[in-house]
Order: sequence, then structure tokens, then C-alpha cells
Amino acid sequence: MRQFVTPGEELPNDTKRNEYVMVSNGKAYSNILGFYDSDRKDIVPLEGLWKPRIGDSVIGVVERPTKPGIYNVKLTEFVQGLIITSKFDSGPSFEENDVIEATVANVERKRLAILERPRKLAVGQTIYVKPVRIPRIIGKSETMVSQISRLTGARIIIGRNGIIWLNGGNVALAIEAIKKVEREAHTSGLTEKIKSMLEAEV
Amino acid sequence: MRASDCMGAIEIIKSDYIRDLIAKGEREDGRKLLDYRNIELKTGIIDHAEGSAQVDVGNTRVLAGAKIVVDDVHSDTPDQGNIVISAELLPLAAAEYEAGPPSPEAIELARVVDRGIRAGNCIKLEELFLEEGKAWTVYVDVYVLNYDGNLFDASTLAAMAAIANAKLPAYKDGAADYNDRSKKLEISNMVASATFAKIGNAIVIDPSSTEESAMDARLTIATDGKVIRAMQKGLSGSFTLKEVEELTDIALEKHKELIKHIESSKR
Amino acid sequence: MASSLNKPELIVNGKRLDGRDFNELRPLKIEANVLKNAQGSAYLEWGNNRVLAAVYGPKEAMPRHTADPTKGVVKCRYSMAPFSGLGEHGRSGPNRRAIEISKVTKEVFENVIFLNEFPGSEIDVFIEILQSDGGTRAAGITAAAVALANAGIKMKDLVYAVSAGRIGDHVVLDVNMIEDNYSDADMPMAISPKNNEILLLQMDGGLDTKQLKEGMEMVIEAGKVISKVQRDALKAIYESK
Repeated sequence: MRQFVTPGEELPNDTKRNEYVMVSNGKAYSNILGFYDSDRKDIVPLEGLWKPRIGDSVIGVVERPTKPGIYNVKLTEFVQGLIITSKFDSGPSFEENDVIEATVANVERKRLAILERPRKLAVGQTIYVKPVRIPRIIGKSETMVSQISRLTGARIIIGRNGIIWLNGGNVALAIEAIKKVEREAHTSGLTEKIKSMLEAEV
Repeated sequence: MRASDCMGAIEIIKSDYIRDLIAKGEREDGRKLLDYRNIELKTGIIDHAEGSAQVDVGNTRVLAGAKIVVDDVHSDTPDQGNIVISAELLPLAAAEYEAGPPSPEAIELARVVDRGIRAGNCIKLEELFLEEGKAWTVYVDVYVLNYDGNLFDASTLAAMAAIANAKLPAYKDGAADYNDRSKKLEISNMVASATFAKIGNAIVIDPSSTEESAMDARLTIATDGKVIRAMQKGLSGSFTLKEVEELTDIALEKHKELIKHIESSKR
Repeated sequence: MASSLNKPELIVNGKRLDGRDFNELRPLKIEANVLKNAQGSAYLEWGNNRVLAAVYGPKEAMPRHTADPTKGVVKCRYSMAPFSGLGEHGRSGPNRRAIEISKVTKEVFENVIFLNEFPGSEIDVFIEILQSDGGTRAAGITAAAVALANAGIKMKDLVYAVSAGRIGDHVVLDVNMIEDNYSDADMPMAISPKNNEILLLQMDGGLDTKQLKEGMEMVIEAGKVISKVQRDALKAIYESK
């Protein structure tokens, strides 16, 4: 059973403690707009910001380089990415406005993500979705995104920071499906709904 | 639901993608080159204003409020009132907009909207005259609430609708009585503008924000359906003579479809 | 305070000019998530007030000297549209009153937002008064709290605000424009309802201690209704349309 919660609303005492739960005077409260799942006894955010974690795949835009071998990458309005290429490697080189995909290797001061394995992406469509919905768009063992990709023929690369890159096949349809998942991330039976929606169009 | 990208940086990369699409005759949202996005128009939403209208063109949202006040006449036009149009790009309308004095974009927007409505004689300024030394001034403030391209057409439509929907305060003993607003402001003409974006060699109408980030030149044409009343070219790209002729024909045609939204919202 | 020369009778037969009881709120409606570009937004109608609140951020604090490397900073802009008042056309741009309101509003949200999650950043809160009829700073704060929750900014609580006032011997709730012009005291308050903490308190006029207590209690009582409208607006974002 799911129930909406808003900041400051009291939660059952046995709610699993995570970053969205505050405890004061022995009581648990939500600090976010989300829902409380009574089966799993945890709170899942409906709105929230991306917190970079080691291992996150991200997509960002390279900013104007100011030092040789060091690239600043815009990941969100708040989090910067940093690519440091070794002066001993003939490593990759990037230009301002390149869209890249990379992995977070380390996080400093909450807002700097050191990136590894950067790769430039070809010209494609990019969209922004709320980072808290990204897990649902990926799906358990990537089931949701693979389904969308398969049924639309679009290549889809997902950044945990909320940027999704698409190319090929029916990109417009793939985007429609992704937006639907974003909107309805908190509902059940979504995988089936998306499958029906896409099969009807194809 | 948020559909547009809220990272300014992403807009830059898209311009290549948009150019490729447009070269194939396609638009990001599937529209035809000369189709407008969905337009919604509501009037009379701000009661305190003498006239008001909110216009959505796709995700671009603009609110216009018309205030009518008693002013001294200008010495060089002693038998006329005045119309003053201003625009503000509110910082809440886009990540790139900052608070502060009006930017050149905001000023250009206000002056272009003003030009269309003034040249179109939408309000006969002599009819605003009250008595010796006094006349009405109609202030129209255009507030951009959400930016997703084509502020010109949304703003002209909103300003026109706010004026068309305005009621005059009663004039008693040399002052306006705002508790008595029953007489409609007389409208002599209805103006609407059509804005075109040139991207590579293709031209599209009603550009979205991503299309505006890819465009080389822009042309806004205000008409009353019969006569071209005002034009404004923007950005550093160019148009050919033939293009301008074709676009003015299209703008004259589109007038009816745009004004229909004002007519169907009249109360 | 307006001149007492044309002072209307604000209370007639135990009711206020708009028919309300002393402790009655004006009708309040809130819709969240109304703007596409803003990270979070809310549109509020409270009596004749029409308010739009929007949130951007956290983002890099600019100019640099405004940044705090240990925590985020809140920047607030309260502004009234030139067409918001009944009567004269207002001037564009913030006046001294708007700047003061922006400051006290910012201080409310600095209390409840988890600023240590966003070092070096700023969170922008925009409050646009599209139509005003008294109590706009309270309306702005009430709307901005909803916009911040919609933006996914972590907060200790969902703040609400409302004013109490005094007309003659009577303490009244949620003062409108005409009452504000002729009343004997006006006291806007912003409250964090979890523990009834007062985050904004301003007063102008004259209140004795009994009236002060009565006014604050009226505000807390009204808070239950206001909080529900705020929370329902947030939950409604997800209800199928």
C-alpha cells in the first residue's frame, strides 16, 4: 500500500532510515515529497535531486576548457563533472559543447564528480527527466529501458543525472514512452502499460 | 509535467540535431513547418486589471494586464489619450533569465508588440480623450511566465486580447472610479503577429526554444489581416526579398486563425 | 495606515465587510507544478490574491562573493505586477517594501531547507504577485513552500503563513487590503507547523498581550486548514487527470 507524504509529515516509527527520513524526539518524518510504501516500510521520493554516487553513469556537456587535459563537464545545475586526462596517455580529447557519457569514479564536496571512461556521443536527441524517476525508467535489471529500445528501435543511453540520449528508430515514440514512465513512476503495472502502448503504435 | 530541458547547456547541442531534422523537413515535435503549436487563451483572469489575458503557445506562457488610468494629455496631442506597452521576462520564466532592469530582449519585445498594436490603430487614441487636459492612458504590461520560444506572437496575442477584453472605469469629478467598470473599451482593429525562424535554408513558423537556439534569423510580421502593420527582423542572419514576400503572405493568412482565439474567449 | 477621514465601518453586525467571521480565512486554492521550466512551482488564489511562486536550483551561486562554501544560500525575489492593484498602475521594479519582504521571506526558508546538502550553491525563490488584496507576503510564503517541495528541495517542514490583525477591540484573521488600510494592527506570521515554530513575525499598530496571544492562536488554528490545502496540492500532482 502506498501513501503520499510531504515534508514535515510524520511517518510510522519503523520506517527504514534513509536520506529522506528525519528523526526528532523519537518520531520519524519525511523531508521530501514522496510516498511511503507500507510493505517495504520505506519512503521513496517523487521529487528530489541527483546525488552523485560512485559507479553512476552520467551524460553531460563539456564546458570551455581552461586548462590543458582538464575538462569541466556540466552534469546538473549543481553538480560539475571533472575529467582529468593523463599527460602520459594519448587519451581522449574533447571540445566545448561535446556531449559525453562517463562514469563517476569519485565524489568531492557533494558537488564535484570525478569522471572516468569518458566517451563522446554522436549527435542525437537529448531530453531531461527528473533524476528520481531514472531508476524506474531503467527498470529492474534494465527491463523497462530495454523494452522501450526494442519496441521503438531507438538506441537509448541513460545518465543518472537526468539526461537521456536517444538516436535511431522512432525517437519521438521512445521519448513519449519515457515521459509516460516519468509521470507514472509511482504506479504499478507500468511495464505492461508501456508494452501495450508501444505495440499499439508499431 | 516538465517536458522541456531545463539545462541551458543542453540547448546548445540540440542545435545540430534540430538543423539536421529541419533539413529533412521535420520538426522536433512533429509539426509541419508552417503549423503553430496548440494555443490556449483565457481572458479576464486578473480582475484588478481593467483587462487581462493569459496565452499559451505550446509551453510558452504569457500574461498581459491592461490598466486604464487618468493622465494629463501631452501638449503636442491635446485631444488624445495614450497606450503604453511594456514587457518583462520574469526570472521565473527560464533558467537564463535574471532579475534586474529590462534586458535588450525584453525592450525589443515590448516595442515590437507596441508597434503592431499602435500602427494597427487598434484603439483610436482620440476616443480616450476625457475633457480639457485629461485623457485615458492604457498601460499594457506583458509578463512572460514560461519561455519556450516565440514570445512575440504570444505577447502580441495576449496584449491584443487584454485590450479587447478591457472595460473602462467610470469618470467622475475628474477621477477614475474603479468600482464602476461597465463600458467596454472600443476596439477598431485586431492585430496578430506571425513569427518565422530561418534555420539553414528552411523557414518555420512559431519556433520553440530549441528551434530558437538553432535559428540564424527571425522575422516577426504583425498584420490586421489586410494590411501589414509592423515588421521586425532579429538576429544576424539574412532573408531574401522573395522570402519576405512569401512570409508576409503567410502572416496575412494566419491572422484569422490567431484572432479566432480572442473571439472565442469573449465574455 | 490610511487616513481616518474616510474610514469605512469594517465590522457591521459582528461580521466583517466581506461577510467573514473574525477567525475565518478567505477561500484558498493552490495548484502545484504549473510552470514547465521552473524546477518547482505553485499558483495560489487566496481571496482576491493571485500569486505565482517558482523555484530554480540548487545551482552555482553567482556572483561568487554570494556563495558560502559550507552551505547553500537562499535568494528570494518578491515582486508585484503593475496590474496587481485595483486602481492605479504600479511601477515596475522592486520598491523598498518588496525588498524587505524578499529578505524576511528568504529568512523563513533558510530555516527549513537542508542547506548543508548544497554547499556553494544558491536556491532561487521567485514570488510574483499577479493580483493583490492584502496578505500577499503570507500568500507568497505559502505558495513558495509548495513550489520548494515540488522542486524536490529537502525541507524540515512545509511552512505556511497568514496574518492576524486588530479592528477596534476585535482580533481578526487573514486581513484583506481594505482592512489592512484601516485596521489598528497587522501581524503577518510564518509558521513551521511540526512544532509551531515562528519563522516570520512582523507587527505594526498596537496590541496588548491578550490580543497578541489571541492573534497567534488564531494563526495556529488556521494553519491546520492552510497546511492541508498545501499538502493536497502536492499530492494532486500525481492524481490522474
